[in-house]
Amino acid sequence: MKIRNCNSGEIAALQSAVAVTVISLGMMVGLAAAQGGQLRFCLHNEPKTFNPLQVDDDAAAAIRYLTGGVLIRLNRQTQQLEPELAESWKISKDGREISFKLRSGIVFSDGTPFTAEDVAYTMQELMDPALHSPTGDSFRSGTGKVEARVISPTQISIRFPAEVAGLDRMFDQVSILSQNSPKKEMAVLGPFMVADYKPGASVLLQRNPNYWKKDEQGRRLPYLDSILLNIQPDRDVEMLQFKRGELDLINTLDSEYFDKLAATSPQVVHDAGPSLDSEQLWFNEVSRAPIAAYKKDWFRSAEFRRAISEAINREDLSRIVYRGHAQPAMGPFSPANKFWFNATLKPPVYSPDEALKALAAEGFRLENGALKDKSGNIVEFSIITNAGNKARERMAVLIQDDLQKIGIHVNVVTLDFPSLIERMTQSFDYDAVILGLTNVDLDPNEEMNVWLSSSGNHQWNPQQKTPETVWEAEIDRLMRVQASSNDPKKRKAAFDRVQEIVVEEQPFIFLINKNALSAVSVRVHGAAPVILSPQTFWNAERLAVSGN
Amino acid sequence: MRSLRWKIAARALTLLATVLLGGLLSATLVRLAPGFDTDERVLDPHLNAASVQALQNARHRNDNIFYFYCSYLDRAAHGDLGTSVSLGQPVRVLLRERLPLTVRLVGIGLGLSWIFTSMLALVAAWLRLSIYDTITTIVSGGLLCLPAAVLALLSVLWNVPGSIAIALIVFPHTYRYAFNLLMKIYSRPHILAARARGLSEARILLCHVVPVVIPQMLALAGVSVSIAIGAAIPVEALCGLPGVGALAWQAALARDLPLLVNVTILVTLVTLLVNSSADVIGSMFRGQEA
Repeated sequence: MKIRNCNSGEIAALQSAVAVTVISLGMMVGLAAAQGGQLRFCLHNEPKTFNPLQVDDDAAAAIRYLTGGVLIRLNRQTQQLEPELAESWKISKDGREISFKLRSGIVFSDGTPFTAEDVAYTMQELMDPALHSPTGDSFRSGTGKVEARVISPTQISIRFPAEVAGLDRMFDQVSILSQNSPKKEMAVLGPFMVADYKPGASVLLQRNPNYWKKDEQGRRLPYLDSILLNIQPDRDVEMLQFKRGELDLINTLDSEYFDKLAATSPQVVHDAGPSLDSEQLWFNEVSRAPIAAYKKDWFRSAEFRRAISEAINREDLSRIVYRGHAQPAMGPFSPANKFWFNATLKPPVYSPDEALKALAAEGFRLENGALKDKSGNIVEFSIITNAGNKARERMAVLIQDDLQKIGIHVNVVTLDFPSLIERMTQSFDYDAVILGLTNVDLDPNEEMNVWLSSSGNHQWNPQQKTPETVWEAEIDRLMRVQASSNDPKKRKAAFDRVQEIVVEEQPFIFLINKNALSAVSVRVHGAAPVILSPQTFWNAERLAVSGN
Repeated sequence: MRSLRWKIAARALTLLATVLLGGLLSATLVRLAPGFDTDERVLDPHLNAASVQALQNARHRNDNIFYFYCSYLDRAAHGDLGTSVSLGQPVRVLLRERLPLTVRLVGIGLGLSWIFTSMLALVAAWLRLSIYDTITTIVSGGLLCLPAAVLALLSVLWNVPGSIAIALIVFPHTYRYAFNLLMKIYSRPHILAARARGLSEARILLCHVVPVVIPQMLALAGVSVSIAIGAAIPVEALCGLPGVGALAWQAALARDLPLLVNVTILVTLVTLLVNSSADVIGSMFRGQEA
């Protein structure tokens, strides 16, 4: 008998299999103890709509996730696509058409049968240009109509005017509406349905009695009887309610609260590791910005940006601001994004001396502790960030200290969010900004509007008529290459290069990737927090709560 | 009687003008606030250029404040109060849903505050003990020093109803005034004479004190309503109570012009109505007294 040496991939696969088995066993033991019950947690803002096609806020997205039935679901744990209402699907070679084979015998929460006509109706509504739906806009790859062809009650084919990269993944966000139900969007195919809404106070979801899924033992899902979503914008109050046992989970937890809870109840807190979210600093490179010309010269210099990046101690940001619950960011994508992260990127190096040398090579000089450019202007700028975000405010202060070491004086200014957006997107009256990118999807295509130089979300220099730099032109080209292909290898190669260019040019100085922190009460059975949103209730249909 | 009618009519006109001016001032302030014509949804990378443009156009629709205000008044006259920009719901529906909670919160808070005020001030006037005076002064002074937000947070921390926080915010304002007023009345010669003749405290209170203090107390009641409404904003916002106060807070943060104008007009209207009513009733009492 030969014993074969396992490679690292196989060991990782084995470890994952063991972990999944242990978690599953844990879930089964837990579920044996308790089924049903009411799960309670907070939404941090009022849901603006219950129409899943118009969702553009976190609260409405959470309700859509819990109530909506989708054709394909991204498993938040494995990061793989899984069939839901569609038994199977196939994308055409030209990447413009997707065909679904639907499950039969499924009905909406009000008893209306689910057919391919409902999928066609949903796509028609979603792609209505007047709707301005973020979900619909993700599908818009070219001009022209989206055509849905119903082949039979269980077969449908949807054709797009141009190739859509990562097409199947996007259906994770498309909740199917009923064409014929008198209840309109309130008739759902997901595990829960909206039973009561008290404006400003709460949303009550009850189990969908017609939900089609069963567990491995043949029991109907979901296990929970209901979910009570309290509308509570204040994180302090949320924490207090959790401690009192009035809430069962906190989906995203601040590192400070995480440590406080960990000190008293270590069994309820979960650190799932680096999330997809990043925090970054960028300089204003807009040519028409109302700031001094010499400042624009600094900000548009890649050497200057690289030196600033080198002078920032990211380990300190992670250790002090996030209490160790964050990792220094390497580039546009977090290592948590297993497939798309460019593993060849090197971790950022903290070296004020090297930063000073690089600046000296560009004509900057240190005089009496103050850095001056070659024209004698003292290097001084302001960093703005949103008031009330303690982590960003602290990061700005630490960066202020770091840059003081190389003679740069930084002023930290906090503004309320509307004022900040106005400066960033309309008046361009700012020097530098610290903000974060919240990534809810793994695919880089979701960030097209961030990286394309013509886009309004190309924050450091938006809406360029033609790319103002060679490297931005190259990013534009590579992003279009990855968006026009359904070959994962080709797409990965293009986006790997984008990541390298971004690290070389530092238009965004990526600071840290926050860890996905959450809290789940011991009363909740079956919880397995992950890094992808919704971190704690991604498997809501298999959660149960005991003791309430 | 005729002069009273004129007085009421004049007050109604003043009230209407103040409410309209208040609404216009509020609209102007929101329009001039930084970030008025921005929408945070423009940062959503999923939205394409056409959708971002549509969001911006929707915001720019209210750029001309006088046009906005005139069309708002026109629509309001027909029962349409507009649609909230941040919540996407008709303002009329939002106010209808949230008003009962605020009325209950402010009502209970005011009631409790006036019960504390009357009891403590009367006991102080009857006992005339310096130690009692010192204790109540320290308590009311301490409460006066605490910001409304701190009291609201304490109510969350100790899990007590928001109306208690409102009561504790209003109480120190009313107590000191009521105490001084009662002390002054009780030291008047005719009260001292009544006490010397052996009249019961209840009779002195009902026949000789209450009729004298009513006009001032009514004026104080009017002011206390304004204080309670003002306190409802931080209390509702911090306690997570879905009332008009929380709505006002949310509207201010989101630069939600239609919502904020309506809330301002509502608050101005209630405050002025209460104060004017207190004034009119007070003047009637003063007339009877004369």
